Amino acid sequence: MGGAGAGAPRRPGEAVEVTELELRIQLLGGGGVGGAGSGSYNINDNADILAEILSRLDGRSLAAAACVCRLWAAVARRDAVWEALCLRHVGPPAPPAAAGPATRAVVAALGGYRRLYRLCLGPALDRLAQAQAQAARAHHLSLSLSLSLFSIDCYERLGGGGGGGPSAGKRGRQQPSSLLFLCKPVDVS
Amino acid sequence: MAMGGASFPFQWPEEPADAGLDDVTLPPLPTAVPDAAGIAAAYYADAATYMHAMQHMEALPDFAAALAAMRREEEEAAGIRLVHLLMSCAGAVEAGDHAGASAHLADAHAALAAVSPTSGIGRVAVHFTAALSRRLFSPPTPSPPPAAEVADGAFLYHRFYEAGPYLKFAHFTANQAILEAVQGCRHVHIIDFSLMQGLQWPALIQALALRPGGPPSLRLTGIGPPSPPGRDDLRDVGVRLADLARSVRVHFSFRGVAANRLDEVRPWMLQVSQGEAVAVNSVLQLHRLLADDPSADDARPRAPIDAVLDCVASVRPRVFTVVEQEADHNKPGFLDRFTEALFYYSAVFDSLDAASGGAGDAAAEAYLELEICDIVCGEGADRRERHEPLRRWRDRLGGPRAGAGLAAVPLGANALRQARMLVGLFSGEGHCVEEAEGCLTLGWHGRPLFSASAWRAAEENNQSDSCNADGSRRAAAAPVRRAISAAAARAWVSQS
Repeated sequence: MGGAGAGAPRRPGEAVEVTELELRIQLLGGGGVGGAGSGSYNINDNADILAEILSRLDGRSLAAAACVCRLWAAVARRDAVWEALCLRHVGPPAPPAAAGPATRAVVAALGGYRRLYRLCLGPALDRLAQAQAQAARAHHLSLSLSLSLFSIDCYERLGGGGGGGPSAGKRGRQQPSSLLFLCKPVDVS
Repeated sequence: MAMGGASFPFQWPEEPADAGLDDVTLPPLPTAVPDAAGIAAAYYADAATYMHAMQHMEALPDFAAALAAMRREEEEAAGIRLVHLLMSCAGAVEAGDHAGASAHLADAHAALAAVSPTSGIGRVAVHFTAALSRRLFSPPTPSPPPAAEVADGAFLYHRFYEAGPYLKFAHFTANQAILEAVQGCRHVHIIDFSLMQGLQWPALIQALALRPGGPPSLRLTGIGPPSPPGRDDLRDVGVRLADLARSVRVHFSFRGVAANRLDEVRPWMLQVSQGEAVAVNSVLQLHRLLADDPSADDARPRAPIDAVLDCVASVRPRVFTVVEQEADHNKPGFLDRFTEALFYYSAVFDSLDAASGGAGDAAAEAYLELEICDIVCGEGADRRERHEPLRRWRDRLGGPRAGAGLAAVPLGANALRQARMLVGLFSGEGHCVEEAEGCLTLGWHGRPLFSASAWRAAEENNQSDSCNADGSRRAAAAPVRRAISAAAARAWVSQS
C-alpha cells in the first residue's frame, strides 16, 4: 500500500526510500548493467528522472511499469508520482490551494494518492470513458468530489457503517463499501 | 438484465411505439425476458441502439423473433392487468368493501405469478400486494421489538446508501450548502437530525480541512434513537468521526442526543453556544413529523412538525438543509395515496435496477419495502411516512403563513455541478439532476424522486450574522472555550 495511515506516516515511506537508495547504490556500484561505453546513459541511473517520466503515464501503464524491475516498482510506489497522475486527470484546480501541501497532508492521512487513484479516480474514469454520450464525457471529475468519496471509504475502513456489531456478525459480515458502485459492471444498454 | 448468449451478441430493444400503452396514467413497465436463447429486452434504449439492432434483425430466424415478441407482449399485458387489479383492490378498500377487495387481491396474486419477478413491475407489485394483504387480513400487530428494528434498519439503510445515488446526492448537496454557508466562520456547530452511521460527515470534515483559510473547529450534535442497553451507537459513531477528524487535523467534538422522536428534542439539549455558526441538517426526517392533512390550514392543530420548526428557528441556523422525497403520500384518501405510491416506487425500483446494473439489490428493496408497508397499511397516528412534494415544503418552511421564520437559500451552481458529476458516475443513463427555484431534485427519466433545499433563519433587525464580528467579540473567551470543549470531548470519549 502506498500511503500509510495516520498512526505511522513515516515508516513505510522510509522503507521504500531506503530500498530505492540501496538499489541506486547497487546499480552504480555494479558498473552499469546496460551501458557499454562511458557515453551511453541508462534510464535506471537517475531515479528522479525516472519518476518524472513515470508520472506522465496513465494509471494502467504506471501499474504495468511497476512490474518491470525492483527499482521501477519502488519509484512507482512514490506517492508523488500518483499525485501527478491524479491531478492531471481531475479538472483544473479552481482554488489555488487545491494542489498545495495541505491537500497532500489530507490525502496522505486518508490513505495516499495511490489508493485514491485505485479506489476512486481509476474506476470513475473508466466508468466515464465507457459512457457513450458526449455529454457524459464533459462531466470530468473534480478533485473535491473524488476526495469526498475517498474520505467516506476511509471512514468505513475505520470500522464504521456495519450497522451495529452483533447483528452484522450474524449476517455473515460483508464489508460494506460505498465505493463498490464504481466497480460494478456497467450496463451500457 | 441478462446479456445475450453465445449466438445472439446484440440486444433486443423495446419498441415503445408498438406497446400501445397510455403512459400518462400507468407506471412504466420494464420487461426483462430471458428465454432459452438468452435474448434480453433493453428497456430504455435510445434511437442509436434501436437502429443498430434493427440492422441485425434481418439475420435472425423468424421463429425466435416471433417467440420473443409474443412473450414480451404477454409480460406487458400481465403487468397492466396486475396494476389494474391492485388499483381496483385499493378502491374497494377505500369504499370499505372488504369482500370485493379480497376478491381483487386474490386475482392480483394470480396475476403476480404470471409476471416475471425479475422485471421492475414484478418486484414493486410483490411488495404492494403483500402490503395490501397485510392491511386486509392481519390484525393490527404490535410494534416489533425496538432493538431488532434499529439494528436491521441501520443495516438496510447502509445497503440503500450503497445501492443508489439518492442518499449520496442528499449528503453531498447538503454538505455543499453547509460549506458555502459557514465560509469564514471559525466555529461551526452542526446538528444532525438523524445520525445513523454518520456517513454524511467524513466528506464535510475533509472539505473543511481543505478550505482556504484553514479548518474551523467543528462541533457535531447527532440525534438518534436510544441504543439498547450495553451499546452506545451514537458514541461509537462520534468516536469514529473524531478519529477521522484527528487524522486530517480538524478540531472536532461530538455530542449525542438520544431521542425517539424529533419533537422530544428541546433547544436546551442542543447546547448552542454564542458566536458559533449553526447548521441544521435533516435528511428524510421531517416528513415523519407531519399529521393528517386537514383541509383548512388556518384551523389546523399544532403538529409535531411545528414544534421542531420552532426549535430550529430558535437556534438561529446559518443554514437548515432539508432533503425529502418528492412524492405526495400524505393524502387522506387511500386510493389516491396508493396510486401515487405505486407510481413513485415503480420509478425508484427502476432506477435502483439500473444503478445496480440490472441485478437488483434485495437489501435496498427491503428498505423501501418498509416504507411501502407503512404508507399502505398505516392509518392515522400509525402512519409515519408522510411524504410531501417540494412545493408544500416550501410553503411550510418559508411561506408567508408559516411562523417558522426561515428564508430560502438558493443552492447554487457548484452544488448542481457536483450533483451532476456524482450522478454521472452511476450506471444507467436515466438519472437526472434538475434545479427549480434554488432547489435541486434528483429524478429518474424526468420523474423527480428526491429534492434538496436549504433555508436559513430570517433576518432580524438587531441580529448580527457576520462571523467575523462574533469571532472578534469572543476572541478572549475562545481559547478557554476551546479548551473546555476539548476537555468535554475527551470526557465524552473516555466515558464508560
